[in-house]
Order: sequence, then structure tokens, then C-alpha cells
Amino acid sequence: MIKRMSLASRLALLFAGCTAVVSLLAGVLFNHASEAHFIELDQQLLDSKLATLRSTLQGADTPALFARKEPQLREELNRQPDLALRISDADHRWFDAAPGVTLPQTPGLHSLQNAGTDYRVYNAPLVPGKDNSPQLTLMLDITHHQHFLQRMQHLIWLTVGLSALATALLGAWAARSGLRPLRRMSEVAGSVSAHSLTQRLPQQQMPLELAELAQAFNAMLGRLDDAFQRLSAFSADIAHELRTPLSNLLTHTQVILTQPRPLEDYREALHSNLEELQWMAQLVNDMLYLAKADHGLLVPKRETLVLADEVDALLEFFAPLAEDVQVSLLREGSAATAGDRSMLRRAISNLLDNALRFTPPGGEVNVRIIEGAQGVRLSVENTGEGIPQALLPRLFDRFYRADPARHEGSSEHAGLGLAITQSIVRAHGGRIFCESGAGWARFVIDLPQGY
Amino acid sequence: MKLLIVEDQPKTGHYLRQGLAEAGFNTELVADGTSGQHMALSGDYDLLILDVMLPGRDGWQILQAVRSAGLEMPVLFLTARDAVEDRVHGLELGADDYLVKPFAFSELLARVRSLLRRGGSTPQETSLQLADLRLDLIRRRVERDGQRIDLTAKEFSLLELLLRRQGEVLPKSLIASQVWDMNFDSDTNIIEVAIRRLRLKVDDSFPNKLIHTVRGMGYVLEERFS
Repeated sequence: MIKRMSLASRLALLFAGCTAVVSLLAGVLFNHASEAHFIELDQQLLDSKLATLRSTLQGADTPALFARKEPQLREELNRQPDLALRISDADHRWFDAAPGVTLPQTPGLHSLQNAGTDYRVYNAPLVPGKDNSPQLTLMLDITHHQHFLQRMQHLIWLTVGLSALATALLGAWAARSGLRPLRRMSEVAGSVSAHSLTQRLPQQQMPLELAELAQAFNAMLGRLDDAFQRLSAFSADIAHELRTPLSNLLTHTQVILTQPRPLEDYREALHSNLEELQWMAQLVNDMLYLAKADHGLLVPKRETLVLADEVDALLEFFAPLAEDVQVSLLREGSAATAGDRSMLRRAISNLLDNALRFTPPGGEVNVRIIEGAQGVRLSVENTGEGIPQALLPRLFDRFYRADPARHEGSSEHAGLGLAITQSIVRAHGGRIFCESGAGWARFVIDLPQGY
Repeated sequence: MKLLIVEDQPKTGHYLRQGLAEAGFNTELVADGTSGQHMALSGDYDLLILDVMLPGRDGWQILQAVRSAGLEMPVLFLTARDAVEDRVHGLELGADDYLVKPFAFSELLARVRSLLRRGGSTPQETSLQLADLRLDLIRRRVERDGQRIDLTAKEFSLLELLLRRQGEVLPKSLIASQVWDMNFDSDTNIIEVAIRRLRLKVDDSFPNKLIHTVRGMGYVLEERFS
């Protein structure tokens, strides 16, 4: 129940509790101080009364002498209605204005309650310093003090209650307005949908404590927006990529079937369809591969690899193609690393394929392997026109083709190669980037040593 | 060679059976796991082709039953799922190969032939021959019609593969894997280029062409009389 309570009510309750404790403490202290003050006042009063009584009863230290002074004493007492007196020695009481009341015997000041009336009782010898002096017991009626104290206690409780209530209400209000940025945050979060991923929290206006959260929140929105943009572009691209071969298949098949033809025509049509279908199957497989990478399902094995050997094997594989387009393939350096052989081969093969595609005849493709302290760097550099700076960040996007002339459906290439390479490199904990200048372009893979 | 296909999708099953039958295999097809297992255990098959997802008993259960009955015939799995764990699981249970849909039929055929060959002992040949093309494995020399042909090491391996499996359509992926040890999906046209270069040396100056392209499927080495 408490756990589900809103932050505002929780804060309000805490405020109220604190106020109650503080005001209660103040009340108790004040009550205590007042009581001490009253005792002091009573003490003074009783001291002065004692002095008066002693002077009245001067010399009356035997019962006989006392009897003579008794009228004078009564007269004195009559003048003070709130004061009662008992005079006794060790054996019996000489005088008693409050018979039947059990009074404390020890000397000094005591408090006592009897029949609804409060008394301050003061014991003192009639003759100070004399051993067997009769004992004077003064009883001062302090009911009005006690009434006052009681009233004050009521007042304290009332104050405690009211101030707690007031702070609870004020606290609720304060908490609500203090938590307004949070509510704003939740409003923004609530309004986020596929169409409004661009909305952001105003970080500058956020209180210090929430600025970090707001920043994290905005960053999350940014990533979502980015991923969503890519995803929707990806789906659109898939549809687009598949549409061309599908429409080819449909049209071609329908046309072939409209009239009887020689057997050879059917065979030709099926072959042509087969090519389209294979292209589509390859596309689907590549997309599944990327989807697996996106879901973190691309788990590379850890084989010890000598990169020079792997690159040499790949260069041998690419040799016929390179000779065909009159490009020389070169490799420099070596390094050992751990990784998945066939995945890394695939990654590098895509880079080589890409490089060969854009290297003019007579040019060269150079693979450099450098072992650094942080890890291994493998770069594939080709001569040629270079890639415009503006295109560099988009090269690894799915279906992106730097060369618009190579259009969808153009047999072998769907524009997923670099995206796949990037996924493989990332699955190995590395990164890939591309740099280019006048007359060269270079793709660089950095693999961490730890992998 | 007797093959059993357990595949619940009628279209896939039908085409698999037709394709394999036309490739010269005696093929039986069942569509559910329970009868699939029954037949696998009772019939005398040289190879099983199992779909993973099946009504009744799934492909893995059939494989387990087959292996625990002491049957050692090769088992090839077909699946639409491409999770690494699946692959590992299948191979751990004793599957011999694994193909993920969509696959090319030529790929399946090539793998089926590889698996069936694996069991039998291949005699150590010293030379391979087709028509007037002769490949000397010891001296690593190639001759056609008595003329010496110079090939690079990889061209030699490629021709050796084609000769060893003459008459079979070899898909590009199989060629890349066998000759260059490149075991990944590759959409480059390297194999095309390599075949073209090999053809230039082996076929071009001879009227009787031996290396043929089967469009959309791969390459085959055979003598064709037209």
C-alpha cells in the first residue's frame, strides 16, 4: 500500500510527520519549562510565607506557647486562603488545617494531589537549625497553575495536530509543484509514438536532479528515432528491392503462359525466373543475417587467426576477378587475432568485392594489417575516384549504393554487403569506418585485442 | 540409393522427391513425424532428409530414435530456422548436415551426393578423365587431346572438383567452399570469372565443350552430344 502511494502524498506525509515531531518536541520542552517556572515561583512564595509564619510563631516552640500564638496564626492564615498549614512534632499534631491528608514527611518541596486539588507541600522546621524543632508543613493550593498547564498541553496537542495538517496540505502542494518536471517527463513519454519520436524534453529548464534523467531520456528517444527511421527505411527498401524481381517474375511468367510456345522458350523463362528467385533468396538470407545481428544472435566463435593467412586466402579467391578487371591485389603486415574465421572472411570479402568494384583498371587494392597496443587494424584501400565526404556516413546503411547507376535488381548486388560487414565487425566488438581522399578510399576495421 | 524424405509441406516434399528421383535416387516421402520415424527405423535407407518442424514427432526426435536404434545412415536436416543453437543441437544429436530454407536445389543435391559418397570408400585415383580431357593427379598435369594445358593451382583444384563430380551440377557456393575454402554466402561473381578463365584454357580451342553453365544453378562438367 505504502509502496504504491504517490510521491507527492508520500512527501506530504513525511513533511507532516516531521512537523508533528518538531512541534511536539517544542511543546514538551515548553511545558517542562513552564512547570519548572511554576515550581520556582511556588518555592519563592512558600519561602516568603514560611518567613512570615516563623516570625508569627516566634518563640512558640512548645505546645503551650503555641496555644498562645494560635489565634494570631489563624488570623494570619485567614488572610491567605490558598495556604493550609500543619504543625507537628515527633509525637502529635499541634495544628492541622488539612486533617486526613497524608503528607510527605521529608523536608523540601513536594507536589501532591488530593481530592481534585493540587498542592505544593513544603516541609521546614519551625526553628531552623534546631534538632527537635516542630515541623511546619505548608500546603499551597496550586490548582490554577495546574489548570493553566493543562490548558497549555491541550494547546500544544492542538498545535501539533494543526501544524501537521497544515504542512501535509502545504507539502502536498509543494511536492506537486516540485514534481511538475517529472509529470512533464511522463507526459512526453506518454505522447511518444511512432509519429512523434522527434519530441524532446527541454533539458535547460529541468531541475539539476532531473537534468541527467532528461538527458538520458532524450538520448533514448534519439536512439529510438534513429533506429525507427532506419527500420522504416529498411522495410521500405525491402519492399522496393523485392518489387522489381517480383514484378519481373509475374510479368515474365504471365507473358510466357499466354500462348503455346516452343519448349526452349519455356526452359529459357524458367531459367530467367530462377535467376530472379535466387537473387531474392540471397536477399532474404542477407536480411535474416542482419536481423540476427540486430538481435545479438550473431555470436562469433573464437578461433586463433593469423590475419595475413586469412587475407592471403581471400586474395587468392579474388585473384581471378582482380585479373579480370586488371587490378592488383596487395597485402602488407600481419597480426594474430581471435575471431570467427568464416565471419571475418565474409566481412573482408565484402570489402574486397566493394574495392574491386570501384577501382579503375590498372589500379590497386591494398590490404594493410597493423598490430597496435589496443588491437588489430585491418584496412582495405583502393585507388580510384574516392568517395565524396558527404556519402561516408551512409555507406554502411542497408541498401545504400554509392553508385546510383547500379540500380535495384541489377543481378548480383543488393547493397547489403557493407552493412553485413559492419554487423560482423560489431559482433566482434570492433568498429569499422571509411575515409577517403583525392584518388583513394579506405575502409578500416579495428578489432579489439581482448576479443 | 534409397532416400527417405520427411517433410510436411506438400509442395516442398513433392518437388524434393521429383528432383531427387530425376537425379537417380529411389525416393520415398512421408509428411508426418510419426510415420516418418516408423519408416526410418524399418526401411533400409541410405540417407534421411528430415524437416525439423513436423507434426507428430519432430526431426530431432526422429534422429534420436534412429541413432539409438544403431542406424548410422547420414541424416540431412532442412529447416526454416537459422539459429546457431539449432544447428549445434542438430549436429550434436548426430545430424550430418544442415540446410536452411530457402536453399537451392542444386545445393541440396550436391550435399546429398557428398553425404552418400562419404560412407563409401573412394579408391585412390591417380588420374581423372572425361572424353579427351585427362588430369594427372600425381604430376598435377592436365592434357586435352594430347596437348598440355597450363593451369594455376586453384584452376587445377577447380577442374579436379568438376572432374570428380562430373555430371553433377555444382552450385557456386559448393565450388567456393571446396576449392577456396570460403564457407560463407557470397554474392560476388568470382566463381563465374574463375569458370570463364578455366573454360578459356580447357574448352575454347576445342570443338567439344565440356564445362557447361546451368543457369541459376551452377556448373557441370560433362560431355554433351548435340
